[in-house]
Amino acid sequence: MDLVTVNGLSKRYGGIVALSEAAFGARAGEVHALLGENGAGKSTFIQILSGAVQHDGGTILVDGQDYRPANPDAAQARGIAAVFQELSLIPDLSVEQNIWFRHEPRTWLGIVNRAEMRRKTLALLEKYDFPALRPEQELRRLTLAERQIVEIAKGLAKDPRILILDEATSALPAREAEWLLKLTRQLAAEGRLVIFISHRMAEVRAIADRLTIFRNGSTVAAHEAAAVSDDEIVTQMIGRHLDRLYPERVPTMTDRVALKVANLASGSRLSGVDFSLREGEVLGVGGLQGHGQRELFQALFGATKASGAIELWGRPAAIGNPRQALTGKDGIALVPEDRRGQGLLLTKSVRENLTLSVIKRFTENGLLSRQKEAALVKEMVDFLRIKAGTPEQLAGTLSGGNQQKVIFGKMLLTQARVLLLYDPTRGVDVGTKGEIFQLMRDLAAKGYAILFHSSDMPELVHVADRVLVMRNGRIAATLEGDHISEEEILRAAMLETRAA
Amino acid sequence: MSVEQTVEGAQMPAHRKDTRPGIDWRGRALDRAPFLVACLMLALIVAIYGSLQSGVFTLDELNLDTAAAMTLMLAATGQTIVLVRGGIDLSIGGMISLGTVIAATRFTDDPSTTAFWALTILALGFLIGALNGLLISLLKLQPFLVTLATWSILNGVAMIILPTDGGSVPGWWVGFASAQLLGLTSPVWMLLALLLFWWWFRATRVGITIQASGSNEKSAFLSGVSITRVNIVTYGLSGLFAAGAALFLITQTGAGSPTIGKDYILPSVAAAVIGGVSLFGGRGHLAGTLIGALVLTLIGNLVFVLHVSSYWQPVASGVILLLSVLASSVAEKAARSRVQ
Repeated sequence: MDLVTVNGLSKRYGGIVALSEAAFGARAGEVHALLGENGAGKSTFIQILSGAVQHDGGTILVDGQDYRPANPDAAQARGIAAVFQELSLIPDLSVEQNIWFRHEPRTWLGIVNRAEMRRKTLALLEKYDFPALRPEQELRRLTLAERQIVEIAKGLAKDPRILILDEATSALPAREAEWLLKLTRQLAAEGRLVIFISHRMAEVRAIADRLTIFRNGSTVAAHEAAAVSDDEIVTQMIGRHLDRLYPERVPTMTDRVALKVANLASGSRLSGVDFSLREGEVLGVGGLQGHGQRELFQALFGATKASGAIELWGRPAAIGNPRQALTGKDGIALVPEDRRGQGLLLTKSVRENLTLSVIKRFTENGLLSRQKEAALVKEMVDFLRIKAGTPEQLAGTLSGGNQQKVIFGKMLLTQARVLLLYDPTRGVDVGTKGEIFQLMRDLAAKGYAILFHSSDMPELVHVADRVLVMRNGRIAATLEGDHISEEEILRAAMLETRAA
Repeated sequence: MSVEQTVEGAQMPAHRKDTRPGIDWRGRALDRAPFLVACLMLALIVAIYGSLQSGVFTLDELNLDTAAAMTLMLAATGQTIVLVRGGIDLSIGGMISLGTVIAATRFTDDPSTTAFWALTILALGFLIGALNGLLISLLKLQPFLVTLATWSILNGVAMIILPTDGGSVPGWWVGFASAQLLGLTSPVWMLLALLLFWWWFRATRVGITIQASGSNEKSAFLSGVSITRVNIVTYGLSGLFAAGAALFLITQTGAGSPTIGKDYILPSVAAAVIGGVSLFGGRGHLAGTLIGALVLTLIGNLVFVLHVSSYWQPVASGVILLLSVLASSVAEKAARSRVQ
């Protein structure tokens, strides 16, 4: 018998139907993948399962008993825990306090038993072979990847019968992502049900026993993983054939150098970086995570202090802070890593997000021209095909892919023609990924110069004209033409090169 | 060849498990910078005060200054809990006024009557605070606005009960503040009790949950925290401490006042900020707040022994507040640049 059976599940947010007629069934001891584009209803579905929101119609049975949790506590009481993509961690608490939050072992007078908490933390980390974490460290000092790992530990600390992993690998470097896949199998072997959401088909292939596909708020199919091909899955996800994920790579680069970087250094993470980015070029930045890619982007955007020389369109540029970097047609614009934290104001509308940093463009004699603003916003929403009810819809209520499009729009409105894209497809569904790649090539054809980092290696291989491979804060290799392959990138990223 | 296989087979850098750095002392020091600055300020003020006035470094002086600071300390304790929650409570001014006028009109020489009304004032403080918390959650309003409104209402009620300063409290109630044990007066013992309370409170689930809700409300909610319940408890405690401040205050004044509470609203916030409590929630300790309260109180003493106009006291308090905020912001920036 199935551990979870869902029938006719529906949920509305105001006038928007998030789920209608969703069905789902999964057994104990299996890894069950949940697939669908962003906005297909996966997030709503797991929010309902985990008690964060309540459904309007339909039934959920857990162990054959009706299940309708009023809040996350009630869900946990029934043995269901979720590892959210939208992290549920507290920045000012330590790692172990976060893991055991609200379930802390206690002694007399309700005082938290720190020794016991430490012991349980280490036992948990040991049991599931967690990557190194310091239990006493404050969460806000951790990187995004480390936080994701803490979130996983927090989910496991509840010893759930059903664990939901929402895009848990998307923030992890390759090695940790691989660990998580192994962990997922281990949990299933322990008799738990793992509901696994990922946009990376290879991962789903590697671990899922069965999969359920969502589209437009409904379930379209459920399969044994072994019995269905990638093509069938993608077709069912998007409801049509996705001709090609990656657009054709027509070289559009000119001889004109858009961005020239010489001897760029910043702290201990970046030293002696030289490269040129040409007009019409998509230049990839790859390598193992944590080898200076983030620092390179931050230094170029002026978000961290750096030394060295930067030339923009042939003129020396002093890039002191993002505002300076943003100025006008000769400037630089960035799509940041953490779109919820750095890129978007979630409680502001799509319009405000688009125009906030370029407000000068609509100002006449110190007054805002609403007409001018509305025209530009409409142009951008249409150009990028941002799916929002109106431009006044809050950015926080958009799907991940559409949020990323808003950030692209914000960047394009600055009129800067040197674009820094840091992992722009992280947590974005397949359909939108394709749109983003096409957009990148279109922009390159228009004469934009694009520096592009991705944690997903095939993206670099298929989209970039050249790839810089970083190792220990330096550029270890520059790959061109036929030399761009996953093997070559990894070789340059991991193996010592002979002195040239 | 898949990516995973390649990573597995290749020479990887040493596994991260073997590279645990030691304790991050500098990071910890930066975290505590505002608190350390407050300690430094206190030491400086005490040093100047001691050089101008004889007998500063005695138990008597400690007893006197603690008594002078205790009302503010109690009010600021409640305020600290609210600030750590990420809110603010202006209504404590109204609660303190209301508490003193109820006490001044109801307390009698009969200990049981007085005890009954003292407990009533404390209960009232908690209930009014809880109501604040409930309103903030239910109406989804800014704490600033809700508590501003309740402050005004409580102030009005206090005026209705006792339009001008007056009334009286029994002599033995006034005597409480100078009662001694082992050479220390009751306010010094209360100070120790407050620190003990905080040590306990911060180690309980309730304390951690309040801090967590101030640190990131959404995350706390996703972890199963009932934000409404958190607000009720947080503001309830703040009201309770404000009521306690009122009961202590009348040992100093001996009478009720329908307007005296407003003198504690902003200083309670200032004491916390000087002590390193973040106005954005999630961070701060009571020890800092209590030092902040002492700093603000001793500034008054200093102005007195310098024989300058007492109007210089708020000027000096303001300057100190600015310096503290500056110190925290510098430390914050230093800490942030280290992370990147």
